[in-house]
Amino acid sequence: MTLAHYMTVSGLLFAIGVFGALTRRNIIGILMGIELMFNAANLNLAAFNRFLAPAGVVGSAVTLFTMAVAAAEIVVGLALVMAIYRNMNTVYAEDINLLKG
Amino acid sequence: MDCLAFACLAGVTLVCALAVVTLRNVLHSALFLGLSLAGVAGLFASLGADFLFAAQILIYVSGIAVLVLFVVLMAGRHSELHLRQTNKQWLPALAVAGLALWSVTKVAQGFRIEAPSLRQPTTRALGKLLMGDFAVPFELVSLILIAALIGAIVFTRPETE
Repeated sequence: MTLAHYMTVSGLLFAIGVFGALTRRNIIGILMGIELMFNAANLNLAAFNRFLAPAGVVGSAVTLFTMAVAAAEIVVGLALVMAIYRNMNTVYAEDINLLKG
Repeated sequence: MDCLAFACLAGVTLVCALAVVTLRNVLHSALFLGLSLAGVAGLFASLGADFLFAAQILIYVSGIAVLVLFVVLMAGRHSELHLRQTNKQWLPALAVAGLALWSVTKVAQGFRIEAPSLRQPTTRALGKLLMGDFAVPFELVSLILIAALIGAIVFTRPETE
C-alpha cells in the first residue's frame, strides 16, 4: 500500500463528512458529519507519521490531542443540543432563528 | 493480504460513512457512525499505530458514538422517522465536497511511496514523548477537558430560579 491510498481514503471520508455537515437538517446529524471530518484528519496524520517519519511518534501524539479536542467539542455540542431541545422543542437547524430580523 | 485488509477496512469505513450522511433514521445514522469509527480504528491498526487503535476504540467507538446515541434517543420523536432529513442545498454541498476530494487526490498523486519496514510498538515512545517534550500541551488538553466537562454540566443543568 502506498501513502496515496491512505490519503485518498481520508479525502473521501472528509468529503462525505463535509457533505453531511452541509446538508443535514438535524443538529445531531451535523455533529456526526463533523466527527467524520475529524477522523479523516486523524487518519491523514497517522498515515503521514507511518510513511514519512517511521522512527518518530509525533504524528501519533498530535492525533491524540486532536481526539481529546474532538471529544470536548462533541460533549459541548451535544449539551447545547439538549439545552436547545429543552427550550425550543426542536433539533432542526432551520427552526432555530431567534436572531433572524 | 495487506491489500485485502486495507480494501476491506476502507470499504467498511466509507460505506458506513455514506450511510451516516444519507439515511433518514437518525438512530441508524448514529449506529453506522460507530461502525465507521471502528473502521478507522482498523485503518490505524493497519498503519502500525497500536496505541491510536486502542484510543480510537476507547474514545470514539465506546465514548462518542454511545453519547451521540444517547442524545438521539432523548431528543428524537417517533413522528420524525420518515421526515426528509436533508435540506435543499445538496447541490452546492456536493460541489464543495467534490472540490475538497479533488484537491486531496491531486495532492496524493505526489505521495506514491511504499511503507518503510514495520517498526516497533509505539506505546512506550508515545508515553515518553507525552511526558517529556509534549508535557505542556498534554496538561493544556486536560484543562480543555475540564472546561468541556464544566460547560456540559452548566448547559444541561435545569434552570432553578
